[in-house]
Amino acid sequence: MIDGLSRWTVIAITASVAVLWIALGVVFPDSWAGVTLSVAASPGTHTAMLRLAVPIALAAIGGIFAEKSGVINIGIEGLLIVSAFSAVIVTFWLGSGESTFAVSHHWWGLLAGVLVSTLFALLFAVVCIEYKADQIIAGLALWLIALGLAPFVSRIVFDSPNTGNVGTFDNVTIPVLSEIPLLGYLLFDTPPQVYLMFGAVLVGWYVLNWTSFGRWVVASGENPKALDTAGVDVRKVRYAAVILSGVFAGLGGAGFALGQLGTFAGGGETDMQGRGFIAIATYLFANYHPLGALAGSFLFAGLDAFQLRIQNIGYAVPSELIRTIPYVTVILVITFVGKTRLPDAAGENYESGED
Amino acid sequence: MRQRLEALLERLVRASIVERIAISIAALFASILVGGVLVFVSGAFASCQTGLNVAGWTFCYNPMQVYYELFLGALGHPLEGGWSPGNHRLATTLQQTTLLIFTGLSFAVAYRAGLFNIGTQGQLVVGGLATAVTVVYASLVVPSGVVGTVVLIPLGVLAGAVAGGFFGAIPGALKAYADANEVITTIMLNFVAVGITSTLLSWQFQDPDSPNPGTRRIPEYAEIPNIPLVGFSSRANFSLLALAFAIALMIGIAWLLARTSFGYELRTSGVQPEAAAYSGVDEKRMIVTSMTLSGALGGIGGALWVLMQHGRWLESVPPLGFDGIAVSILAANNPLGIGVSALLFGVLDSGSSAIGTATAVPPELVGILSGLIILFVAMPEFFRMIGTRYVEVGSSDLVRTDGGELAEDGATADDGGERDD
Repeated sequence: MIDGLSRWTVIAITASVAVLWIALGVVFPDSWAGVTLSVAASPGTHTAMLRLAVPIALAAIGGIFAEKSGVINIGIEGLLIVSAFSAVIVTFWLGSGESTFAVSHHWWGLLAGVLVSTLFALLFAVVCIEYKADQIIAGLALWLIALGLAPFVSRIVFDSPNTGNVGTFDNVTIPVLSEIPLLGYLLFDTPPQVYLMFGAVLVGWYVLNWTSFGRWVVASGENPKALDTAGVDVRKVRYAAVILSGVFAGLGGAGFALGQLGTFAGGGETDMQGRGFIAIATYLFANYHPLGALAGSFLFAGLDAFQLRIQNIGYAVPSELIRTIPYVTVILVITFVGKTRLPDAAGENYESGED
Repeated sequence: MRQRLEALLERLVRASIVERIAISIAALFASILVGGVLVFVSGAFASCQTGLNVAGWTFCYNPMQVYYELFLGALGHPLEGGWSPGNHRLATTLQQTTLLIFTGLSFAVAYRAGLFNIGTQGQLVVGGLATAVTVVYASLVVPSGVVGTVVLIPLGVLAGAVAGGFFGAIPGALKAYADANEVITTIMLNFVAVGITSTLLSWQFQDPDSPNPGTRRIPEYAEIPNIPLVGFSSRANFSLLALAFAIALMIGIAWLLARTSFGYELRTSGVQPEAAAYSGVDEKRMIVTSMTLSGALGGIGGALWVLMQHGRWLESVPPLGFDGIAVSILAANNPLGIGVSALLFGVLDSGSSAIGTATAVPPELVGILSGLIILFVAMPEFFRMIGTRYVEVGSSDLVRTDGGELAEDGATADDGGERDD
């Protein structure tokens, strides 16, 4: 970050701009500020924000585990992509709208997506830990392979780089709680992947901070030698952490595809649109704190939801430019907010002295 | 200090150059093997009239046929009758080779300075639009004919280089002065580049007579001319002059990196930033400069894409920038190696349309292959393990591992990274 700006200074400046915007919006409802404020305050934007946060938040939690253990998983975007398209394709094969063993095929699709993503994470772990690959290059390779696989597989199954539509999860409404004013519709009347996101973030936060496995993960990234001396196998810890990143990213990618999109476009940058990289920026911004990463994902997903709705209003600013708001924000955030300290041993291979 | 480092770098390069070539070739074959298995297996999920029947499953795709089409199709099937070197497919291959030399060099220059420029794609998009717009507007003032050609082409290339260089300087400055991770910023800027160029296009530069999103055509005489008599037809959109320019630039960059003090400082910054800072290199300025140079090369790639291939800028830009990453990594980021590696990827790119027409296998196979190549090049240890298991290898081949020869000199690149601080 730029010298002389602390994380809190930046947050304070941002907050005062926000207060000014809200004040202007309330006083002059027809102004630019008023229109954008009404979009930002509308329940539709908030619902969309939660759904768009799913891939970012879950990939960020996964990324935190991998990077805390010392393996920088820059290929997390690739994991999101493979889980998303395989979830859609498996749901399509089984037949969407039907169920097997009383479980809807969307859930089997989700499971398949998580499995595929976990397998890719395992492959990445082997490449990085066993064969000591450069983690950044291997991560880029993972992403590029996924960029090729998504349209390749879709063409075989659907004869087009985009998959067919399998529909999305139905909302799960929790009685009574969903009647709570303001928050009820948001948190308790929502598709299942949003509950999964909240659950996974809590689990991730708990595991990382309150279990011995969590302490091993942190030690394996900060001081692998000490962990080794204490009798814990650094390699096993790193394997577990990278595989966990595959599970979390898989939930995010498959949940997003089956809960929000219902289909997956594999052309160009694919439907994932760089959300895995936004997730990396999110956890750096949150300094590896899972709950902070959840909040950060709300920021980026909120901007995404905001720009989607602004496009619909047809405001004077061209939609192509509005679409870049989340990406520009990511750049601003990693420029101005927080100097993140990477774990000491992140990116390095660890060799125990035994062999 | 300087002589010592220079000697060290020189020795490192020499010791590993054979090994690196071996690793690149092994990675290539490993990727082809894995890709072949993928093609064969995915054939079981496709539907077809005829295929290989194994225990009730029908495997639709024949990997051998796919690779035959991919590699020989890209050359215009030299083993079949009626082949001429001026054929359309070979021209496409060389056209892609030309463009990939620029994007490969773009990634390599940044990489040698210790930076990951994943933003070549965005720099190419921005540079290409700048070229098209500059040439379209300049052609209103510049006389047509030979004068137009001589003035407009260099002007267009310059515009692309400046725009791409500026777009590359942004993540460089953010890295140097705000410590913003360049992998993230360059990837984000790729999306921003698409947004900005689309906005500019719909705001001002869209060709009103064309249904496709793109600028007006540049005048015919501003396109890079074909050399007559050498055989490539003008419909092929390939110019040997452009390829010659790419090769000249490649040699120029190789010379810049290997023989100039700027190149020396750039490489030292990449290998040992502390040593570079100690010997008086302004670290921040070097980051911005190398990213600018890298971006300018990407921008020139965009310029040639416009001036040679399409004669206009189109909104749908092929992933030349991303392929450049694979080109450079396969060449171990060595500028001269990039020529060979770009030719290979030119074959893959042009061959992908050959498999698209001649087989039922999706042409996106090539994207997977280039990802696999990067993955395998990234894990030299894998091939070393296989190598030491099956072949007797002298210890001199193991310099980079623990206990190798160079280690006793104290500071190989690997040691520098792993030493306790």
